[in-house]
Amino acid sequence: MAIIDASNVSRVFPMPAGPVTAVRGVSLTIAEAEHTAIKGPSGCGKSPLLHMLGCVDTPSAGTLLFDGRDVSALSDRERSLLRLRQIGFVFQRFFLLPMLTAAENVELPQAEAGVPPGERRRRSRELLDYVGLGARADHRPSQLSGGEMQRVAIARALANRPRLLLADEPTGELDEATGEQIAALLDRVNADGTALVIVTHDHELANRARRVLTMRDGRIEREDTR
Amino acid sequence: MTAGRRALAFAWRSLVRQPARATLGILGVAAVGALLFDMLLLSEGLVISMRGLLDRLDYDVRVTATDALPGTGPTIDGATGVAAAAAALPSVRSVTTLRIADAAFERGGLSTRGSLQGLGGTSTRRPWTLLRGQDVGGAGELVINEAGARQLGLGPGSSVTVRASCSDQREAAPPVAFRVAGVVAFPFDSPELVTAATTANSLAEACAGLGAEAADFLLVASKGDPTATVADIAALPFALRAFTNEQVIGRLEEGGFTYFRQISAVLTTVTVSFALLLITVLLTVSVNQRLGEIAALRALGFTRARASADIFAESALIVGLGGLLSLPLGVLLAEGLDRILKRMPGIPEQLHFFVFEPQALAVHGALLAATAVLAALYPMWIVARLPIAATLRNEVIS
Ligand SMILES: Nc1ncnc2c1ncn2[C@@H]1O[C@H](COP(=O)(O)OP(=O)(O)OP(=O)(O)O)[C@@H](O)[C@H]1O
Ligand SMILES: [Mg+2]
Repeated sequence: MAIIDASNVSRVFPMPAGPVTAVRGVSLTIAEAEHTAIKGPSGCGKSPLLHMLGCVDTPSAGTLLFDGRDVSALSDRERSLLRLRQIGFVFQRFFLLPMLTAAENVELPQAEAGVPPGERRRRSRELLDYVGLGARADHRPSQLSGGEMQRVAIARALANRPRLLLADEPTGELDEATGEQIAALLDRVNADGTALVIVTHDHELANRARRVLTMRDGRIEREDTR
Repeated sequence: MTAGRRALAFAWRSLVRQPARATLGILGVAAVGALLFDMLLLSEGLVISMRGLLDRLDYDVRVTATDALPGTGPTIDGATGVAAAAAALPSVRSVTTLRIADAAFERGGLSTRGSLQGLGGTSTRRPWTLLRGQDVGGAGELVINEAGARQLGLGPGSSVTVRASCSDQREAAPPVAFRVAGVVAFPFDSPELVTAATTANSLAEACAGLGAEAADFLLVASKGDPTATVADIAALPFALRAFTNEQVIGRLEEGGFTYFRQISAVLTTVTVSFALLLITVLLTVSVNQRLGEIAALRALGFTRARASADIFAESALIVGLGGLLSLPLGVLLAEGLDRILKRMPGIPEQLHFFVFEPQALAVHGALLAATAVLAALYPMWIVARLPIAATLRNEVIS
């Protein structure tokens, strides 16, 4: 079964100057371990769509099923717990907690999910090794470079072994070479079995995906599969 | 680890991360908390202190001629007879008559004004504490307090000349020589007011016989049930009013002592509001600086309740630490303020304005806890209704 099954979803933002339709009748499925990129010009509605896929936002119309469950019908708390256990997020601006070390940042979602301390320390260590930052576990974000911070953020997103990893412009703040490393890391995450959806207007990053969706004006204009 | 402890640990890290903000909050609460604590000590301090003073005395019922507070109303006439009748009551252990006259004390070239008490009745215990020398023995002897001894250079065995003013209308009686038997401390002594005491007969002589049979009040020691004693005395065929210590306190509470309670209530409200504002502002500013992080944590699966709990834990930590700090600070401040207030003339040395009692601590804790909760409400509300998607988007755009 698909992780996500969106049919005819729209997102309208009521604005003082009139409603803004960011996503218009998009239908889309995300299968287990699939690698998808969503690209398109600024303002075409990529982020609003991603937020709905990630269950931080709900459609104004249409239905979005996560694991067969209608996300709109879930309470805020149920949606939070769904995100905690099944979905990982990587942000353009990393959003690591500056007062915590790299390892503590990775432990945070695990603590929230009730993983015992010993186990979550082991898992954090393992994840930091996985993203190539085993030696920086006790460093704070301020002591890391942008690329390193994004790698810690990826480790954090993977902490509770999500089935789906979502990334909104994960290389947006990084130089080309560093962005390339992050892209390679994300490829590896996907190859190891986590479904991946990346939103970007960077064509090179998008074209690493097996499936590339191009959005325009709130719609999926074309879909390319390699 | 429980969710609560996780939130506290998390909040602690957030505080440490912004040490200036944390320090400001904690010091602010400490200062406000100290003031709050003092206001609570002040609101009941005089009453508690007065009750303690009364309870330490040897008598537990006070008898006057009218409802006026002791020492301010008309005198009891035929005091010797009244005292004898009261002493004969089965509920009464002993009776002391007390008459108070204004007096000028002179020795050598030195002179000072004060009051001279004349004591009669059936009691052998004296309502004062002997510090040096001996108690009043025979005629023509008096005991004097430290203020008098100091001002006139008196000690046991010295002689002093007394001019008593024994009624409002007349001039001072002719001078009478007294011998100082000892130096004593009266329970309501203040550091600068001169008080001396002698027998009722010696005072009558100093008054040249004027009002010899009058007493300002009677000090009665019950056999353990002051309420029964009050009832028994009221039943005697004299126009008398008797009060237990509790009743005296009650009358004081109805009178001037309520000012302190009112002042304390107003200042308590002001200080608590100030703490509330300070913490609300600090938390709100900090939350607004961290909106992106908070939205990211929410996206990663933190529930609304958990994200808000972090803010509450921060409020609790700031107020809790500040509150702890406020206690020693409050005690120091109370001691200083007590010293200042007691410089008012006529305040008994042993009376205190700020008196510790466990209930003050409980109220202090409860008020601060309420402050922590109320101060967190608004920033918690911001966090709870934070739109995740819009916040993440704004953080990238800005
Ligand atoms: N949370 C929101 N509240 C109100 N309007 C929103 C919100 N999110 C998106 N929009 C609107 O929806 C439209 C498309 O959104 P957005 O600009 O985020 O798309 P995007 O494809 O992710 O663009 P970019 O590449 O610049 O990130 C915009 O007009 C924007 O104003
Ligand atoms: Mg976007």
